[in-house]
Amino acid sequence: MVVRDIEPVVLDLDRLEQMAKSDYYNPYTAFDWPEAIEADRPWMSESLTTLAGTEMWDELTRDQQLALTRYEAINFFSLNIHGIRELLSEVVMRIHERAYAGVSEFLHHFIGEENEHMWLFAEFCLRYDGKLYPAQPRLAAGSMDHLSPPARELVVFARVLIFEEIVDHYNAYMATDETLPRIAREINRVHHQDESRHVAFGRMMFTGLLEQVARRDPAEIPVIAEYLEDYLQYSIATLYNPAAYRDAGIPDALNLRRRALEHPARRAAHDQVLKRTRRFLNRSGVSVGGSAA
Amino acid sequence: MTTEAMRSVQEFILGRNPKLDRLDGDFDLIDSRAINSLAFVEFIFLLEELAGEPIDPEDLDLDDFRTLNAIEARFFTQKAA
Ligand SMILES: [Fe+2]
Ligand SMILES: [Fe+2]
Repeated sequence: MVVRDIEPVVLDLDRLEQMAKSDYYNPYTAFDWPEAIEADRPWMSESLTTLAGTEMWDELTRDQQLALTRYEAINFFSLNIHGIRELLSEVVMRIHERAYAGVSEFLHHFIGEENEHMWLFAEFCLRYDGKLYPAQPRLAAGSMDHLSPPARELVVFARVLIFEEIVDHYNAYMATDETLPRIAREINRVHHQDESRHVAFGRMMFTGLLEQVARRDPAEIPVIAEYLEDYLQYSIATLYNPAAYRDAGIPDALNLRRRALEHPARRAAHDQVLKRTRRFLNRSGVSVGGSAA
Repeated sequence: MTTEAMRSVQEFILGRNPKLDRLDGDFDLIDSRAINSLAFVEFIFLLEELAGEPIDPEDLDLDDFRTLNAIEARFFTQKAA
């Protein structure tokens, strides 16, 4: 692939590169995987499940509640795997493009770390549940074809950033949730640590590419903002997987999913998850909806 | 049932595309981006719910979703038999 018509992206990444080196660990040997993990503990924090705060949660039996935390943990890790895989492939294509020569050192760290994250999440899912949830269907058709080259590049890196920030909200909370089995907590903790570097990098990339878009054609910014708002909503909705409800023995999964997505308590929870990202985008001049302003 | 389901399908699409005021049966929903990549998952879930049958995400034929006519034929007619 050739990225044309964008100026070289120049960022000061010395500190992040140093941290990537000094924080490096071998994920294949760093964890002590127990044979099995306790079924009487939540695998995902109860307050982070998709029914938390609603009467739909209260109506479940305790066994269903615990099962839901297990299958939503598997769904969360599966989403990570598929999300990373898709975004990583975009980054791999760009690593030695001329425009990205100044950031390719960090991109090497990024790619290596994301590959390891995929392994880590898949290992958890396969060991303890014997499966991943399949990726959601996607349309390959490029809905960005009408944008200029820098705007398209901005969208690619913005999607990486948004995805990472949303995931990080969950990781940061679960990293210290003592109700979780130790291995689940550990995975969330190390991922949170690595992602803090990725998020810092992603925000710098976003700002750099946005400047190029603004110089070239500021009229594209509202179009990008609209797409990113949709992407925020889309990302939240992927957490609500009817297959996880079915696996947890909860009937009428699609109807439940629809009701949960619209529930006021859930809307407030979504605002919490997206707050930091919305604030960043709005302050950058990309106005996304902000009930969480 | 079929008509009612197809009305829900239309409402979903029009609701997300304020610039469209009507939909012809052979209008290409995908090329026109009336259903874009981000809306596609929601659309699949809606069809599953209306048709009462699961759709395997790993085994989709895009042409079944391309137009209202195709959707009606695939999900809301032949099962009557
Ligand atoms: Fe990651
Ligand atoms: Fe990351």
